[in-house]
Amino acid sequence: MAGSKQWAVQLRNIAILLLVWEVVGRLDLIADGALPGISEILIGLWNDRSDYPLHVWETLKASGLGFVIGNLLGVVAGVFFVLIPVSLRVFRGLNIAIFALPPIAIAPILSLTLSGLTPRVVLAALGCYFVTMTATVIGLSQSDSRAADLIRVYGGGNWLIMRMVQCRSALPSILSGLRVAAPNAVLGAILAEFGGGGRWGLGAYLLGSLGRAEPERLWGIGVVATLIAGLAYGVFAVMSHRFVGASRAVTMNMSVPEKAGDGSSTPLSSLLAGAMAVLLPFLFWWAFIRLLEVPAMISKTPIGVVEYLFLSPAAQSAQERLIAALWETLPITGIGLLCGLSFAFLLAISSRLFPGFLRAFMPVALVTQTMPLVALTPLLVLLLGRGTSLTLWVTISVTFFPAFVILAQGISMVPRATRELAMAYGASARQELRIITIPASMPYLFAATRLTVPRALLGVMIAEWLATGKGLGNLLNQSRGYMDYGMIWTVAALSVILAVVFYQLVVVVERRVLQRMGMSTAE
Amino acid sequence: MDMKLSRRRFLGAAAAGAAASVMPFGSFRAMAASPFAMQASWINDAEFAGYFLGIDKGYYAEEGLDLSYASGGPDVIPESTIITGRADLTLTTPDTTIKAISEQGAPFKIIGTQYQKNPIGIVSLKSNPINKPEDLVGKTLAVPPVNVISVEAMLKLNGIDKADVNIVPYAYDPTPLIKGEIDASLDFTTNVPFTISQQGAEATSFLLYDFGFTIFNDTVVVTEETLKTKRKELVGWLRASRRGWEENFVDPTVWPPKWADSWFKGTGRTIENEIYFNKAQQPLVESPNGIFSLAEDDIEACLTALGQIGINGSRDMFDTTLLEEI
Repeated sequence: MAGSKQWAVQLRNIAILLLVWEVVGRLDLIADGALPGISEILIGLWNDRSDYPLHVWETLKASGLGFVIGNLLGVVAGVFFVLIPVSLRVFRGLNIAIFALPPIAIAPILSLTLSGLTPRVVLAALGCYFVTMTATVIGLSQSDSRAADLIRVYGGGNWLIMRMVQCRSALPSILSGLRVAAPNAVLGAILAEFGGGGRWGLGAYLLGSLGRAEPERLWGIGVVATLIAGLAYGVFAVMSHRFVGASRAVTMNMSVPEKAGDGSSTPLSSLLAGAMAVLLPFLFWWAFIRLLEVPAMISKTPIGVVEYLFLSPAAQSAQERLIAALWETLPITGIGLLCGLSFAFLLAISSRLFPGFLRAFMPVALVTQTMPLVALTPLLVLLLGRGTSLTLWVTISVTFFPAFVILAQGISMVPRATRELAMAYGASARQELRIITIPASMPYLFAATRLTVPRALLGVMIAEWLATGKGLGNLLNQSRGYMDYGMIWTVAALSVILAVVFYQLVVVVERRVLQRMGMSTAE
Repeated sequence: MDMKLSRRRFLGAAAAGAAASVMPFGSFRAMAASPFAMQASWINDAEFAGYFLGIDKGYYAEEGLDLSYASGGPDVIPESTIITGRADLTLTTPDTTIKAISEQGAPFKIIGTQYQKNPIGIVSLKSNPINKPEDLVGKTLAVPPVNVISVEAMLKLNGIDKADVNIVPYAYDPTPLIKGEIDASLDFTTNVPFTISQQGAEATSFLLYDFGFTIFNDTVVVTEETLKTKRKELVGWLRASRRGWEENFVDPTVWPPKWADSWFKGTGRTIENEIYFNKAQQPLVESPNGIFSLAEDDIEACLTALGQIGINGSRDMFDTTLLEEI
């Protein structure tokens, strides 16, 4: 009964939202018609109905393939990293580097070096790998150590623990990873389609439609992209909902985790792992170029970038342009990141206080994620102009959603018994939040921070590329136009290095805080 | 001959759906056509009408070419595709090509030009018209970042301080212009005025070319290597393409509708738009010396204009001898 009533409220909320949208759109109230009414978008979709099937099919193919490949790699890598903990340290640099690669920087390189669907599949897979790998590792390493102890007592080894305890307890986490990965795959494929010059795919359609001054079309494409991503999201949300019920601990684990860093490692071996972590991304970068045999003029190896930036005749001017761009990009990235995270944290917390709100808000949050930024940004320009506020909003919208999903997941994993304990002693909902839920969600807050750093950078760069004409995004675009391959590689490498450095900073803080709180780090 | 023609038609039809690699049975007996790949500079629109026509009518097949055509996009740097060998020939903007030759030593040669006059220009609304460079003073002008230095050069040539014009990035979308968020934008004058008219406004425009920035566009570029090894194919391509363009311009309204379900299907643009484009580009493409021609004084004008923006080209970056062989 309560369920059906909730649905009625839900439906009513959505109906109100749609009605407001329709009225506002029909009256051209927002930026003189930049937001068309829903009926106008639907009419547009109907008029274009013969165009969509081939485009949608092409996007589905690329993003589906990328989703499968990226997630398989992510789960396999996650399991591998947990079974052999030292490998996580060796691969850390590479993992973060893969995650932090700005898609707008590598899309032209992929279109050049790979053919057909491959650039799209690679970009889609890259969007999935890190999220799922992280979710797998979090899920596996947050398993109940008492169950693992039990198996050890009976003579079981790591592998058995993995099979019987960790895999089961990791499932909800992996599913929530897949949930985020699904829209990522669609967006990755669309971004590659947008730039890559193929005939079909929603991204190609978007490019052709961009110059038409028909917001209905842009929104139509956005709606279709959102539907695809939303459906994928929904499937994994339902699955996750089912599994979480069965695998949540009934009581709280009170044992203190082992001290971070495996006891067996000597200073020398940990130094070695650290060195490997730094070197591995560069090794992969170098191998990628060597294996694909891209001509040297186009592809820059790490050494090539150093030469370009410090030894070439253009070094002086390159450095100056780079520093000026960084000075424009970094401050706004920091502010956007902070806003996005605080917003996500507040909402995740209040979703505990007002559970209905979470469900009502989710579709809106999803739309901001699945509406391709290349389509959304021109529309946002009409709403917000070309100033700092635009960059800020784009950044918040790309960082907020993944942070929110992780935080909401973390909060829903707090064992009910603990919360009920606080309640039983007469704590109010707010007190319970402060004492139980917020501290318990700390590992997830840190994980969310690490996850959103590169996205913040990407959001800023996309806004700079399409709207404000400042900073790294603009530098990248200009370099592409002038075939300044040295600068293209430099910007890509630098943004990855920045993201990695920031990531490391978060990790250091995280280790200290969580250790003091008696929690394990969610790598 | 007839057989090759029909094979070409077959391939053309198949290519409309996907990149066709199916060889009809007869091809084993036909004279082996040499595979030849061209990379266009943008998505399928009337800008490439001559090539679509040449493919559909079998002009390339008659020259012994098995042409594969790849459309472009913002991430596709046309010159890069001939460096990597993914295309034999590409259409470029002369500023990037000549800059790459002079500064990076890229082994390119320009063997023809589709546009004698670059179609980019300043587009504004008739209600707030900008008819000459001086009108830009104190106005907001949206320019694709790549073209900023071209605009600055044009301003300088006309004695205008670039600080007096507010230049913002342009993302191929005329909406801000129609909405009055900007006063003018730099775009293809062959294209955007139509879009603006569809939105109930009227546009006016002038070419950068007519105010001193005298450069070509869609220059036909190959690598020196290709020039050496595939000279016969290149001449064949030029001849077939010229035929395609000439046929297209007999009546520029005839062909775009025929491609509604092939070349132009699903591009997100309308056939009326392509017809407008096709008509508008005719005077920019046609030349008394024949389409693609590179007249000596035009080359010089192009090099002089590029010199204004610090791109130092020279006559030997052009090879006009293939045009003589058509």
